[in-house]
Amino acid sequence: MHPTLRINGMEKQFPQDRLPKTLAELLAELKIDQATVVAEIDGHIIERKNFAAAALQPGQSIELVRFVGGG
Amino acid sequence: MDTLKIADREFSSRLFIGTGKYASSAIMARAIAASGTQMVTVALRRVDIENENDNLLAAIDRTKYLLLPNTSGARDGAEAVRLARLARAASGIRWVKLEVTPDPYYLLPDGAETLKAAEILVNEGFVVLPYINADPILAKRLQDVGTATVMPLAAPIGSNQGLQTRASIEIIIEQATVPVVVDAGLGLPSHAAEAMEIGADAVLVNTAIAAAADPVAMATAFKFAVEAGRLARLAGGAPRQRAASASSPLTGFLRNDNR
Repeated sequence: MHPTLRINGMEKQFPQDRLPKTLAELLAELKIDQATVVAEIDGHIIERKNFAAAALQPGQSIELVRFVGGG
Repeated sequence: MDTLKIADREFSSRLFIGTGKYASSAIMARAIAASGTQMVTVALRRVDIENENDNLLAAIDRTKYLLLPNTSGARDGAEAVRLARLARAASGIRWVKLEVTPDPYYLLPDGAETLKAAEILVNEGFVVLPYINADPILAKRLQDVGTATVMPLAAPIGSNQGLQTRASIEIIIEQATVPVVVDAGLGLPSHAAEAMEIGADAVLVNTAIAAAADPVAMATAFKFAVEAGRLARLAGGAPRQRAASASSPLTGFLRNDNR
């Protein structure tokens, strides 16, 4: 079975043995600039300075959010 | 102009600007500059992982403008607290515009949930600026739990109706010990001037500027209106009365009868 992550509410499947090891790796794979986002893993906020240390496990739920225009 | 102090920051501009609904980041940046503001609101949303995302913050000079993240989209207090914590992690600042709007049609704020969330966030060290209906009792309860301001609405968000809640906002201003920021519904510079004339400490404007035909010119117009309204408040308005009171002398007319 292929490993999956739930990213912003959507299931994303990764090839066998190709699950990103850390949040920083995931962002690089998704081509998202680390400096512009903040993340939660299973409801816990991950500080940007800890992205490279935040290990990922199959089945985790990840939220990636950013600032947009608003009033 | 006199300065406004909120928490530990002083503002020489009493106009705060929302960053939503602009046609482009470039126009937004020019409107922000024209407004003279020192604080701009932003929202938090999910990254679109399929498409490229604009980096809003690239267009906002954070050495000039304090970011005020909002909790828009929160339907209850718990969602608002979660958004506030994420915003702090994202921006590194502890200021938050607290808004809880369960009903998407009128976007009116839920006072009970806002009060609950405010208490939690104040205890976590946030500088909380709550968006509320123009309810003087709720305003008092929020200031009692330690919010930095209260921000009563003039009219529903983005409706441009002007100061529909004037009588209640006047009571809030009379009683508040924290700054009162009139937020939402101001559609024209004259509305902003009116809010300042009745004693609001500041106003927050988004749609009226962003959706104007010329947002940069409208931002300038709001800047002058807010300054004019504040100066008028400090000057003290002349009394209003029902009948005329002649401005010219009532003696020395060019006639011989005394009528």
